Amino acid sequence: MATLTKRRLLSLDSWAVVLSLAVALLVRAGILKTIPW
Amino acid sequence: MASSAALPNTQVAPTSNAFGFFRLIPGVLLLAAVGYAGKFIEQFIAHYGKAHHLVLPNIEYVLWAIVIGLVIANTVGVPQIFRAGVATYEFWLKAGIVLLGARFILGDILRLGGISLILVFIELALALTFMTYLGRGFKLPPKLITLLAVGSSVCGVSAIIATQGAIEADEEDSSYAIAAILALGALSLFLFPIVGHALHLSDHAYGLWTGLAVDNTAEATAAGAIYSDAAGKFAVLAKTCRNALIGFVVLGYAIYWASKGQAAEVKNKGVFLWKKFPKFVLGFLLISLLATIGFFSKPQLTALGNLSRWAFLLTFAGVGLRTNLRELGKQGVRPFIVGAVGEIAIAVITLALVVGADRIFHL
Repeated sequence: MATLTKRRLLSLDSWAVVLSLAVALLVRAGILKTIPW
Repeated sequence: MASSAALPNTQVAPTSNAFGFFRLIPGVLLLAAVGYAGKFIEQFIAHYGKAHHLVLPNIEYVLWAIVIGLVIANTVGVPQIFRAGVATYEFWLKAGIVLLGARFILGDILRLGGISLILVFIELALALTFMTYLGRGFKLPPKLITLLAVGSSVCGVSAIIATQGAIEADEEDSSYAIAAILALGALSLFLFPIVGHALHLSDHAYGLWTGLAVDNTAEATAAGAIYSDAAGKFAVLAKTCRNALIGFVVLGYAIYWASKGQAAEVKNKGVFLWKKFPKFVLGFLLISLLATIGFFSKPQLTALGNLSRWAFLLTFAGVGLRTNLRELGKQGVRPFIVGAVGEIAIAVITLALVVGADRIFHL
């Protein structure tokens, strides 16, 4: 990201990885079952 | 890597506090509305053609979403209330790539990623050399040449921003380079599919070509997905290989400019490389590994693949909404010409590489 002056806990990339893995675990656990397209 | 913003300093990342989160909602809803409108138009045309026995062109939702976004951004404009949320499209892009790992078996990634990496190395060497000589021929400032070379050979805006900090280039130079790369990225969305269809490229070959030749990850993904779903997948794979090398290229230039006394020295090269390494590549590989070892059932893999498609849908809407053609047109002509000549050359070279690889490896 270009000019984000405020210091963040994680980078944008890392947030994307963490949240995607969390969603994948929800799918694995059966909490998120059918995702239509 | 990503970004179709007209200017880099308008980007806003998702913030961690509650106020920041709520500030994102209107823009994210706009992304969803524009993306879904694209999907609706694609389906409507298909149903209409079927019901009336007409053969209508199958234009993917990706292109509709981008066009709707472009029209909004360049006519009425994107109101302030939506901008923070619209800027999250880069987050959705990266989340979409991580989840896309579920649609790849690790063996495929190693095989196709290996081929992609070989082609990426060749592309990098040729593109960096060509852009450097071209920039010198047009008498552009040396650091602007570096920024254009990195932007067009590695991964667009993110590479330019990363390099700008490392070589202490002027904001103005970086703004010129970004504008040139973004304008050319927007053009590639429309031109690449036309060339791909004209040459009857396979999904794999076309996807690989787009991933090698289109600079920003969002545009590379979109240009691939406009052609077909499978081409989109392979465009992301090839582009991810390119993205993974960003740190090495930026480090090389940082050392070069430091040796000339025009940038600070890089103290810890390992830390520098880790900081520049795009972490979503690791997430993509991890999800693919989990999919390969059977951690997910088949319906779960389908669900993850669909989640990836929804994330990309928001990204494609953002690509259109964040492209301000008037702002891009205000930038200098010479950097644009150098960028355009360079991009055409890179597109031709990578097309030849991919066609050659297709014959040897049967992609």
